[in-house]
Amino acid sequence: MNKVISKRLTFVVTILSLLIFIIFWQIIAQQGLLVKNFPGSYKTINALIWWVSDPFFDNGPNDLGIGFNLLISLRRVLIGYSLAVLVAIPLGVLMGMSKLAQSSLNPYVQLLKPVSPLAWLPVGLFVFRNSEITGIFVIFITSIWPTLINTAFGVASINPDYLRVSKSLGASKSITIRRVILPAIMPNILAGMRISMGTAWLVIVAAEMLLGTGIGYFIWNEWNNLSLENIFVAIIIIGFTGFILDQFFGFLQDKFDYSI
Amino acid sequence: MQKNSNPKKNSTHLELLKLGKIFFKEKKFFDFYSKHKKSSFEAIKNINLKIEKNTFVSIIGPSGCGKSTLLNLIAGLQAPTSGKIIIDGLAIKGPGPDRGVIFQNYALMPWLTTIQNIEFALNTVFPEKTKPDIKERAINYLRMVGLEKASNKFPKELSGGMKQRVAIARALSINPNMLLMDEPFGALDALTRSYLQEELLSIWRKNKVTVVLITHSIEEALLLSDKIILMSSGPSATISEEISVDLERPRDRQNIEQDPKYLKIKMRLEKHLLRETRAVEEVT
Repeated sequence: MNKVISKRLTFVVTILSLLIFIIFWQIIAQQGLLVKNFPGSYKTINALIWWVSDPFFDNGPNDLGIGFNLLISLRRVLIGYSLAVLVAIPLGVLMGMSKLAQSSLNPYVQLLKPVSPLAWLPVGLFVFRNSEITGIFVIFITSIWPTLINTAFGVASINPDYLRVSKSLGASKSITIRRVILPAIMPNILAGMRISMGTAWLVIVAAEMLLGTGIGYFIWNEWNNLSLENIFVAIIIIGFTGFILDQFFGFLQDKFDYSI
Repeated sequence: MQKNSNPKKNSTHLELLKLGKIFFKEKKFFDFYSKHKKSSFEAIKNINLKIEKNTFVSIIGPSGCGKSTLLNLIAGLQAPTSGKIIIDGLAIKGPGPDRGVIFQNYALMPWLTTIQNIEFALNTVFPEKTKPDIKERAINYLRMVGLEKASNKFPKELSGGMKQRVAIARALSINPNMLLMDEPFGALDALTRSYLQEELLSIWRKNKVTVVLITHSIEEALLLSDKIILMSSGPSATISEEISVDLERPRDRQNIEQDPKYLKIKMRLEKHLLRETRAVEEVT
């Protein structure tokens, strides 16, 4: 009973705070309190409805529906991210299992991890001479580190009892990896994949401003059109998409939560 | 009794010859500057022991005396630094399905159900067996420990005692002739503990296995064993005494404590453990 009421209450409070925010935004914009011509919530919501009601139109690369732009960005992220995961998990397992691999690869990981992935953009353009592949390449570099590090950490900190059971049964290395190590570190892998996806989605917007097409380019294009309300539309859609992606991984993490 | 009817009673199952284990400290880069020469740790030294077929042997000693190291060596999970482990006349080279190992923390895989945990062991040891065969065998062993109804439960849904019963079923399912147990009941409450001790005894009677049990409980050792091995305090621990427990079976938990023979051995064990524990505590 108590729980039902408090749930309803939070819902009401959330809606209320949103309404208050929208009203204040409109007042501040209308009065020109921030800067002149700052779009109000009314204008932004109208723009949002306009973009969302017809998301798929194509009048050339500078006038593309928001749905198309979103799909272009998602496609780049998904390809780059999947490739990164395919490389990061085996490499992470190797680093976690072998001291030699760990000590020879770790310096590169530690050195490259703190570099903004956008620094690789010119390198990608020079090597691939193709903005599409460069975008995927940048996302690949972005996504690889969290998954790699989490996987390696998971293997290194695996409960030694599982390995002892496997060893005492005389299990081969391949059986131990496939049936003991990989399932045991699933929570670590998923946590890494969740962070990787979060950063990839952050980076794609910045990368696309330089590459053309995609939701990031949409923002850059609307800045050139001086249409701030459309930029707000993009921000809302990017945020919402990122939220859905994150929730998906949250759901997977719950599925693979072995803790008591 | 049952064991007298076994013609192989007096054949040696396990023999340890001058067994020793030294853990070498990993050399790290900055050790170059270190003045300390203490670079290794000798856990056990010069262990000689014979264990007969189908007997129940307990190894008891103060904490940190290398009991678990000794068990790991017999299981083949670690390689000895010196000496030999001979099983049925052959020196072992590593782990093998002739020995079932039971750990203190049950070591069940949390992503597998009870039955899948046993099936994992069976699939690993008998890769040639068909799926229905393995399933049937797994269920039989779960039934043996009274848990066939919990076959589709995950370890986190089971109590500590139930988890250890699954671990026992898993260890026995691969049909070993030796059961190695590392303080298997140490983490359980007293009631569950005595229940599982009875369970273990009846399993031991039914399945012809040699049991090597590591414990720090004198009562447990006395209730279960044919022979008790006393270890000295570590480092460089070794066997100080072997005591035969010639108390009649089945032993009754309540009556056994009135047996003068029982009390005599118990006093001897207590004295030894106290002395060795004092040696440990006063060094540090």
